[in-house]
Amino acid sequence: MFQLAWRGVRHNTGRYVATLIAIMTGVAFFTATGFLSDRVINALEGDAVRQYGGVDAAVVVDYEADGGQFADDLRIGQDTADAIAALPEVAAVGGDLSGSVAFLAPDGATFADNATGRLWIEDDELNPIDIDDGAAPVAAGEIAVDKGLAGDEDLELGDQVTILTLAGQFDATVVGITSFGNSDAQDSGGTVSIPAPTAFDWLNAGQAEYQDLYIRGTGDQATLVSAVEPLVPPGFRVQPGDEFLQDKQGEVSGFGKILKTGLQGFALLALFVGGFVIYNTFSVIVAQRLRELAVLAAIGATPKQIKRSLRFEGLVIGLIGSALGVAAGFGLAFVLMAVLQAVGVSLPGSGITVSPSVVYQGLFVGTLITFLSVMIPARRAARTEPIEALRQAAVETSPLSRQRVITAGLLVGLGALGMLFGPAPAIGFGALAMFIGVIVAGPIIAVVGSKIFRPLLGRLGLEGRLASDNIARNPQRTATTSNALLIGVFLVTLVTVAGTSVKDFAVAKINELSSADYVIESTGGTIDDGLIADLEAVDGVDAVTPFRREAVSVVGEATLDPTLAGTPSALSTGDFAALSDVADLELDQGSIDDLGPGQVLLISDLAGTDPIGKSVTMTNSQGGTVDLEVVGVLKFSLDSGLVGSFVDTPTFDAFVGETAPTVAFMDIATGAQSDTEDAIDEITALRPDITVTQGNALGRIIGQIFDFLINAVNGLLLMSVIVALIGIVNTLSLSILERRRELGLLRVVGMEDKQVRRMVRVESVLISALGTITGVALGVFTGWALIFGIDRLSEAGIAFSLPGGMLALVLVLGIGLGFLASLIPAQRSTRLEVLDAINAT
Amino acid sequence: MTDTIVETGAARAVDAVKTYGSGETEVKALAGVTVSFPAQQFTAIMGPSGSGKSTLMQCVAGLDRLTSGETFIGETALSGLSKTDLTLLRRDRLGFIFQQYNLIPTLSAKENILLPLTLAGEKPDQVWFDTIVQTVGMANRIENLPSQLSGGQQQRVAVARALVPRPDIVFADEPTGALDSRTGMEILSFMRQAVDDAGQTIVMVTHDPHAASYANNVLFLADGQIIDEMPNPTAERVLDRMKRFEA
Repeated sequence: MFQLAWRGVRHNTGRYVATLIAIMTGVAFFTATGFLSDRVINALEGDAVRQYGGVDAAVVVDYEADGGQFADDLRIGQDTADAIAALPEVAAVGGDLSGSVAFLAPDGATFADNATGRLWIEDDELNPIDIDDGAAPVAAGEIAVDKGLAGDEDLELGDQVTILTLAGQFDATVVGITSFGNSDAQDSGGTVSIPAPTAFDWLNAGQAEYQDLYIRGTGDQATLVSAVEPLVPPGFRVQPGDEFLQDKQGEVSGFGKILKTGLQGFALLALFVGGFVIYNTFSVIVAQRLRELAVLAAIGATPKQIKRSLRFEGLVIGLIGSALGVAAGFGLAFVLMAVLQAVGVSLPGSGITVSPSVVYQGLFVGTLITFLSVMIPARRAARTEPIEALRQAAVETSPLSRQRVITAGLLVGLGALGMLFGPAPAIGFGALAMFIGVIVAGPIIAVVGSKIFRPLLGRLGLEGRLASDNIARNPQRTATTSNALLIGVFLVTLVTVAGTSVKDFAVAKINELSSADYVIESTGGTIDDGLIADLEAVDGVDAVTPFRREAVSVVGEATLDPTLAGTPSALSTGDFAALSDVADLELDQGSIDDLGPGQVLLISDLAGTDPIGKSVTMTNSQGGTVDLEVVGVLKFSLDSGLVGSFVDTPTFDAFVGETAPTVAFMDIATGAQSDTEDAIDEITALRPDITVTQGNALGRIIGQIFDFLINAVNGLLLMSVIVALIGIVNTLSLSILERRRELGLLRVVGMEDKQVRRMVRVESVLISALGTITGVALGVFTGWALIFGIDRLSEAGIAFSLPGGMLALVLVLGIGLGFLASLIPAQRSTRLEVLDAINAT
Repeated sequence: MTDTIVETGAARAVDAVKTYGSGETEVKALAGVTVSFPAQQFTAIMGPSGSGKSTLMQCVAGLDRLTSGETFIGETALSGLSKTDLTLLRRDRLGFIFQQYNLIPTLSAKENILLPLTLAGEKPDQVWFDTIVQTVGMANRIENLPSQLSGGQQQRVAVARALVPRPDIVFADEPTGALDSRTGMEILSFMRQAVDDAGQTIVMVTHDPHAASYANNVLFLADGQIIDEMPNPTAERVLDRMKRFEA
């Protein structure tokens, strides 16, 4: 029987081509995404080992303390670094310090705006950056740039450049080209390495301070850690090298792993859709070979043997298709990489990682899905009666069974009930039941759709009417074909509808929070009077109100909530009245008039219960401490979160020194927000230390994140749509093969070739329209029911938003792709000579 | 039906040659046939398998092209026509009846009968349509789908479809081959009647002497050539002639 199966495959190669392509496409998507993600994971993990392998201990910001909003502002002073370096257990210390930089071209334009300036670490083993070409930057005015930046911006060794840092413009010479493990740069926007004395001036306002310390020891890590421990400043912690490396690896490869899981999930969906295509093809093949199978049955093949033979065929096809798919996936990975490169995304690492596990998984899932898809057709084939061999009539399937109507009706009805009235789990099960119900109802939809479209298409002429009749001829086959498309369209619609509704809700909620129009922050630099004057000169800018801010952490104090000890926060001073005019600053308790020297308006997240009159101790990164009496509580808002706790100017001066403001709120005339954007950007472009954020930017950012997610998910769902299209091509091609006599007859009695082709095209468009319309309708309903369910159960009050334009696009695309899928079968429909067509058996 | 067609024949073949393959595998299906099919006559073409009888009909009917020579429908030479022109010529001027699979399964009997007219965008002559449908005895099953009809009934529909547009010629390829003899006789009677009562021209390919006996004239083909002709045939005479030729 195996020999028979093999012959079956060989003699039906043409019919199997589309099946092979369906398996191949699915498996190719699966393996390509696997290869790419593995490359990213390997490159990143490898980088971490190569770059941080020499670190025996590290002093890092303690993000695990609550908050963490200001943790990035914390610094380790030079004295601390020196003290650690002086320990006998320490062999070398390298400090990490970075800040934004950009370059200024001679024509005044800036480039490499998102680059990061980094302190060059002298110790080779501790420095994660390697010199590829040239020398390490040592003297003042020397810099090294990473090779990606050098390539993108045409920088060469010896080039004189003007670098913009938060301290101003500086001339520098490129003396080295660097790389970061397998990647070009440590930072996504490019890395500029700056030697020690200069780096403090450029990146940290002249202060010799570090963000992290990398330490190389003389003995084992545990001894080193316990020796360093007492010297660690507040807000920081010391980590043994192994743990640090693990964290770094996790940090960098976590992204790769999420990427892999996500991408492969979508690829598996594409494979699942491929299952429909395979099932359909085998069903048609079995129908067409009914006579051959009946002859086999007549001469004594048992049903078991026939079943086994067909399953074996499935296995062979599945294996071949999967193997081809793995190979195609290898190529596809390169294509994807090129596409990403073209849109400006360069993935870390180089080449493609062909991991055996991905290859095996690809082979396995591809073969398994094919095998499973063949099960039902094989069972049907096994039921073939010998008498079928003698029957002449073409196989027309039975009309819709009552059982199917009842099952589909029950599933859809119960699903809808569950979603509309049930508790939370019932919504999920309801959605699933309804989806299955619609899939089961496919043949009914095909018949009803055919009836609905018949009068409309009849106007196109006889070929339109015939096309609409054709889709009802074998409703099961039409349904399987359009269902494959339906799955993708349904998910796209659901994600779009539900996503848009939640997005609109979230954005609206956030926009309800009032806040300053813009927040301007300087990282390391200051908001000086010149900048304020420039900004205030912009048409539409009403006021720029600066304030001074210091990163602090709260020292444990019995009277306040002890769990808040060590929490990073901020302490600010300025003109409170002016600030509260332009920003959302309100007091929960107390009043600004109460504020005197040595007293504080505490930010509410630090306040605990009943703090008034109690004392709180704060410490900054230099180790200075101040005791403050709480006289008021600042209500938490978007703006007060940026301010932190508030003290008067003498108190601030005494604690921090007479520093310049680093933050400002900006007030814009009503309605002028969008007009001022460009002018403000132009002024701040010359100051790499300055970040301008729209006060209500959170809403916009959240909106953008949602949009990105919706688009990304939809883009990935395209994989399944592509496979579904292959299914349409396949079904139509097989139908044409089946009906070649009939098509021949139509041509004999006078149907022109172009009419025949139009008939095939209309049929294809109709099949895809059925899948698309049903998918969109189901997606909209499910999306609405989900939102309705959330509102019903949580009283969240999310409004249902129907993204009409997007849905119209989905409809047009789905139907348009159906047209595209028809091109090959339409061409094929008239390729045969009329005479051969009518004489065909 | 004009007088010229009566004189020159409704269809003709002149030096018709059709070869398949080339070199050693070359097969001559038609080896220079010149023949005229007179209008308002029922002509049968007979011959053993491989004699070229089907090829002759298909080439004259514009379903296949000659290797050399020329075929005419009326005064229209077919070799100069494009594929689309041939399709339109078949639609507007010819009728076809095949052995089986004559009908489009998704169209009712009536829609099948009107198919050529629908394709041409023409309205049927209602009186003529009713007459034909009455004659073939399908008036009460006219709304049925082919799958709801017996083989004989399907063939009656096919005959009606060939006759309703009043084509210049009806070509029939083994029209009774798949039917029992009684039903076959009925079909042949309809065809005979169409020639006698309505002046229809019919060319029929068959291997059945009994079917051939319904014709005005029988042409005998062997090895791609016309070797004999028999006016006013009877089944016995045709059978005798066939026996001779196989011997």
